[in-house]
Order: sequence, then structure tokens, then C-alpha cells
Amino acid sequence: MDGPLHVLVLDDEPIVGKRLQPALAKVGCEVEVFDDPRPALARIAEKEFHIVVTDIRMDEVDGIEVLERVLALHPATKVIMITGYATVEVAREALAKGAFDFIAKPFKPQELRDVIAKAAAELGFKGLRQAAVD
Amino acid sequence: MATGCMGPMAPAREAPDIQRALLERPSISIRKRLALGFLALFFLCVAVTAAAWMMLARLEVRLRFLEMADHYTMEIQQARRFEKNYFLYGTNLQDVREHLDNAKGILDSSGAEAEKVLPPGVLKQMREHLERYDALLRRLEGMDRAGTSLPLQEKAAVEAEIRAHGSQMVTFAMDLAQKERTTVHETMALFQRLPVIFLAALLVVSVLVANFLARQMLGPLGRLMATTQRIAQGDFTPLVPARRFRDEFSNLAVALNTMMRELQHRQEVLVESHKLQAVGTLTAGVAHELNNPINNITLTASVLEEDYASLSDEERLDMVRDLVEQASRSEKIIRNLLDFARESEIKTESLDLAELLRGTTSLAANQVKLSGAKISLGLPENLPPIHGDKQALSQVFLNLVLNALDAVEKGGVVKIEAEPCKEPGFVQVNVADDGHGIPTHVLPHIFEPFFTTKSRGKGTGLGLSVSLGIVRQHGGDIRVQSLPGHGSTFTVVLPAARVPAVGDKRS
Repeated sequence: MDGPLHVLVLDDEPIVGKRLQPALAKVGCEVEVFDDPRPALARIAEKEFHIVVTDIRMDEVDGIEVLERVLALHPATKVIMITGYATVEVAREALAKGAFDFIAKPFKPQELRDVIAKAAAELGFKGLRQAAVD
Repeated sequence: MATGCMGPMAPAREAPDIQRALLERPSISIRKRLALGFLALFFLCVAVTAAAWMMLARLEVRLRFLEMADHYTMEIQQARRFEKNYFLYGTNLQDVREHLDNAKGILDSSGAEAEKVLPPGVLKQMREHLERYDALLRRLEGMDRAGTSLPLQEKAAVEAEIRAHGSQMVTFAMDLAQKERTTVHETMALFQRLPVIFLAALLVVSVLVANFLARQMLGPLGRLMATTQRIAQGDFTPLVPARRFRDEFSNLAVALNTMMRELQHRQEVLVESHKLQAVGTLTAGVAHELNNPINNITLTASVLEEDYASLSDEERLDMVRDLVEQASRSEKIIRNLLDFARESEIKTESLDLAELLRGTTSLAANQVKLSGAKISLGLPENLPPIHGDKQALSQVFLNLVLNALDAVEKGGVVKIEAEPCKEPGFVQVNVADDGHGIPTHVLPHIFEPFFTTKSRGKGTGLGLSVSLGIVRQHGGDIRVQSLPGHGSTFTVVLPAARVPAVGDKRS
């Protein structure tokens, strides 16, 4: 598959989106960031992203719900969960419900890029990995 | 934890002083008082017995004297009968003499006794009459023996004199016997009354002694009973001396004081251990909450490092500001917990309940987020201040809020409301949840230590028991209402501070 990798990042901490946007754009991703789950879910209903990165614990809607909604609409989308506090149960639940992988806070942009690169590779994207390690 | 004491029951003196004061009083043991009471009764009996014995001895003397008086009277009467015969029929005077001598003998032998019984002078008069009668008889006898007969006139005079003295003697003798009989009867009557008087006196003394002993024993006993109830309520103020002496009850008071000191110490240990448990619960939430600012810092710092060269000054400044802001956010998250967890002296101060509840709620903020519940705070403006230990009360409310959060479903509401209580002088805080409620069979046990419905390792069962202990030490109470399926309301009632801000009351 060619073309940009469409990524949606959802975390109720605005700084997460603010920093990940350029960090992921740098490796050739088309990034949309949200700090509120509702508009994010509305956007997901409109557009099929290749990859959705979502925080698990948010006030309004939690990450597991987002995961279910995404997979219900777009089964091919790879969903990467951000867990605030690496609890085995939540991670296991997310994986059981079809999450691609999870990444524990605090993480560096490179760690997320590595996970995204893995997901991209599974989706058949090429070139991202190279960009990721530049 | 410090060995200080809570405000409302702050002892005026330190415990060892009180213990010493209890023991330094002179000892008058109950055993001694009982012995004294019964000794008093015994002496009463001894006195009554002695009195009875003495009266009996007197009665015996009287009776003997009465016998003598009767005997004397009889002799005198005999003498007079023969005297009459002599004058009427000219019989001899020998028989008169004989009886007169007998009467004299009786008077001589019983003179000492008669002296005691008779009024002064009477005995002398009796003797005089007797002597005179005797002398007259001798004269008559002398005349008879000489064969000379007196002139009739003279003889009549002697006869008249003899009769007069004789009748006087009879009167005296009968009077004496009569008097003595009366006295004996009086003594007998007194003797009959004595047991009745004694019984009445015994009854009065017994009632007095019993009353005294009962007061001596029931007084301290009641006081100790009241103390045990006070202890059950969580008031560990030591007993202070109430009397000027000590006894077996004083030893019990000393033992109770020692027990209270131990209980107080245990209570402090329990409170502390429960606080550590609460800190543990909060720590999980804090760790979770800390992840966000730390993640923000990590991401920002990493991007700053990666793209430092290509970023504009403005972008770099924005990132540095974010870093500073997120660092201070982390600090705030931890500071509350550290304030709560810090070991501190127990101190009582005037507290603004609204502020205390806001602080407690923010302490539990992470738990609130984790549970997905909402907190609604209802704090009116003009709440009276309360008087107490900030950390301990914060622990109570935190415990109730954490319990409520455990009880509610995601999206549930925990209402925290403060209001003046219906009972004047008290304020109350209601912590209400709309959770699963407490089953009716569990409700009576929830304040028992180590009672828990949580799974092993999740709860120690100390929370409510420790909270109740703390609130009772503040002179308040915790009440609970619960409807299974509809939620529970815990009401903490605390006395409002009457005097504005007296500060730390500890001496």
C-alpha cells in the first residue's frame, strides 16, 4: 500500500496530541489529534483511519469503548492503546478485544513510532520504518 | 503517633500524675470500713448486755431487800400483836421482846443495804422508833418484875406511847415494803421494755450502718460503671481522685486508667495503620494520575531533544513552559498525599468544615477519576467551625468517600453535604452514594473492627471502626442509613466549636 498512513491520536491530555502530531508527521503520517473522545468518535465514523492511537482512561468515554467502536466500523484499522498505568488486566482485555498492541505511559515518541511502524508493516505499508529510524 | 490526646477529653493532668494522686491518698479499705461498721454493732450489743446484767444485779438486790422488808414488817406486826395481847389480857412481854429483837437483828444485818435503798434519815428514824419502843418495853418489864404497879395514869401514858411508836414502826415498815415493791415493779417494767428498746436501736443502727456501707460501695461502683460506658464510647479521659482517701476501688480506678492508656495507645496505632492503608489506596491513584504529567514531560522533552535544531525559539519556549507547568502539576498531585500521609502530632484546632471537605475531596480526586463516578459537594457558606484534629477528621471523610466510590457504579454520584444538625450545637456531614447499598444483615456489623465485605487483600475492615473511634473522640457519632440497591448515606455528626478559635487546648 502506498500513500500516507492515516493516524488518529486520541488522548484527553492536550499535550500528547500537540507533541505527537509533528513527531508522527515527521515520518510521513497524516495525523489528526483529538483530546475529546466524542468528536474523535464522530470523525472515526466519517473516515477510516489506518491506525487509531487511543488512551484507555478518559473521563467521558473510555479507550475500550473507542476500540470497540473503531473495530465495529473498520475492522482493518489497527488500534494501539495507551495505558496510563500498565495494568495487566486492562491490557489483556484490550488485546482480547482486538487491539493491535499497547504502549504504557510514560513513553517517548520513538517508542510509539516503532509500534506504529509494526502496525503499518502488517497493513502492508512500506517506507515508514525507514522514516522512523532516521 | 504522638501520645497526645484529643481536644474534648484533653486531660487536665498527665496520666502518671493522676495515677500517683489516686494512690497517694490515705488508705481506708472497704474491709476496714466493714470491720468498723460491725464493730460498732458489736459494741452496741455489749453495752446492752452490760446494762441488762447490771439491772439484773440491782433487781436481785431489790428483791432481797424486799424480802427483808417483808420479814421486818412481819416481825414488827407480830411484836405488836403480842403487845396488844399484853395490854388486853396481861400476857407476858417476852414474846414482844423476842419479835422486836428479831426485827432489830434484821435491821442491823440489812442496815447497809437499807441505807442504799432508803431516803436519808428514814433508817435513823426507824431505829429511833425501835429504840424508844424497846426502852418503853424495858420500863414496863422492869415495873412488872418489881411487882410494883405504876399509877394508872402513868401506865396509860406509857401504853399510849408504846402504841404510838408501835403504830409508827408498822407504818414505816409497811411503807418501806410498799415503796420497795413499787421500785421492784418499776425495775421489772423497765426490764421488760429493754429488749424492745434494744431492738429499735439495733434496727436504727443497722439501717444507718447498711446505708453508710452501701453509699461507700455503690458510689464508687456507679462511678466506675459510668466510666466503662464512657470508655465504650471511646472517651479515654483518666479517672481523677474524687475522695480524700483510697480503698479497693482506687486500685480498680488505677487499673482502669492503665487499661485506658493502653486502649488509647492501641487506638492510635489502629488509626495510624488505617491511615497507612488509606495512603496505599491513594498511592495507586496518585501513581496513575502522575503518569499523565510525566508522560507529557517525557514526550515534550523527547521532541525538544529530537528536533531542537529545527524548532523555532517560540516553539522551544512553549515546550519549556509546558515542562515547567507539568512538573508543578506533578508536585501538586503528590503534595496533598504527602500532607495527609505525614506523621504528625495530634493537635486540635478550629477547623473550617467546608475547607476540610474540599481538601479531602481533592485528595481522593484520582480515585474519583478511576472509579468514573462524580462527586457533588454541597457546602453552605455559614457553617459553624468545628474543633478537632485536621488529619484525623480528614482520614474519616476520606475513608467514607473511598467507601462510597467503591460502592457506586461507573457514572454514579457521591454527594458530600455539610449542614447544621437537628441537634443544636452539632453539625453534620452526609456522604451519600447511589451505589449497591449495604445488605440488611451486614449493616449492624459494619463498625466492628476487622469486619469487611471486600475481598481478601482489598480491605482490612478497619476503616469504619477507626473512623467511628476518631469521631467519638471528637464527641461526635457516625450514623448510617442504607437501602440495598439504592445506596447508603453515612452521616458524621460533630459538635460545633462554641468558643471561636481557642487553638490548641493541650496542656
